Amino acid sequence: MSQSLSEECTPLKRKYDACFNAWFEGYLEPAVSASVTPEQRTKFSQEKAAEFEKACGKIWQEYRECVQKAVKDKGLESLLSQARQSHPLKEAPPASHDPPRS
Amino acid sequence: MKFYSQSFLYDDPWSIVSLAYLLRYPNPYANHILSCDVISREVTPEGSLRTTRLILKKGSLPRWAPAGMIQRAESWVLEESEVDPLGKNMRCTTKNLDHVKVMRVEEHIHIRQAEDGKTLQTTEAMFLSGFGWGLTKKIENYGLAKFKANLQRSREGFFVILDLIRQSRMQPM
Repeated sequence: MSQSLSEECTPLKRKYDACFNAWFEGYLEPAVSASVTPEQRTKFSQEKAAEFEKACGKIWQEYRECVQKAVKDKGLESLLSQARQSHPLKEAPPASHDPPRS
Repeated sequence: MKFYSQSFLYDDPWSIVSLAYLLRYPNPYANHILSCDVISREVTPEGSLRTTRLILKKGSLPRWAPAGMIQRAESWVLEESEVDPLGKNMRCTTKNLDHVKVMRVEEHIHIRQAEDGKTLQTTEAMFLSGFGWGLTKKIENYGLAKFKANLQRSREGFFVILDLIRQSRMQPM
């Protein structure tokens, strides 16, 4: 499995990834069909969130704390918050009368 | 600004393609991926899984690039994905976080269930440079050409993962 951005977090990341992947395979194949009611969706959401919390909640918290610290230590926080504010595809294109070419 | 778009039809069911997409790193064709971390993840009230990942990629510069255009040939990439297993729909957006003045690259992937148990993937990418100095168009064209050239490689990497999942599914329980 791949590395974490901080060497220190890599063992936690691997443990977390393994746990998540096992949960995720089941999550992708729900017993209910596509034509679900909003109530069924809510129920599905709560069940899956609880299932994940039970199986991987602890390791997720440890891994997340490690990564959050690494992001801070590497000075990546401002880069992340800028990126979450900008959506180039939703903004008007720069002043130009040429139609976009593909 | 330059655009690129393409669709691809897989014979595999949606759940396998989506699983492979989220597990695509590492693979033997992705040596340029230095790290990949989940920075947030939640199940929405509608039952979708929303994930943000932070990826570090090794890049390379074109030979004509002026000295000092980019300090280091590495780039942080943010990947935001949403998987809806009930509607069999997955969307994923990736964009670079640094060197955005030189060029922004944004890629949108949509994976959805098609007829006969097949799966359709559409890819759209956008290249936008604000560099100026008469290089804007050249940089955008370079980005697009590089993207197209790498597409085959990333597809091969993806197929390695897809094959591994197919094999593991064929094993008796």
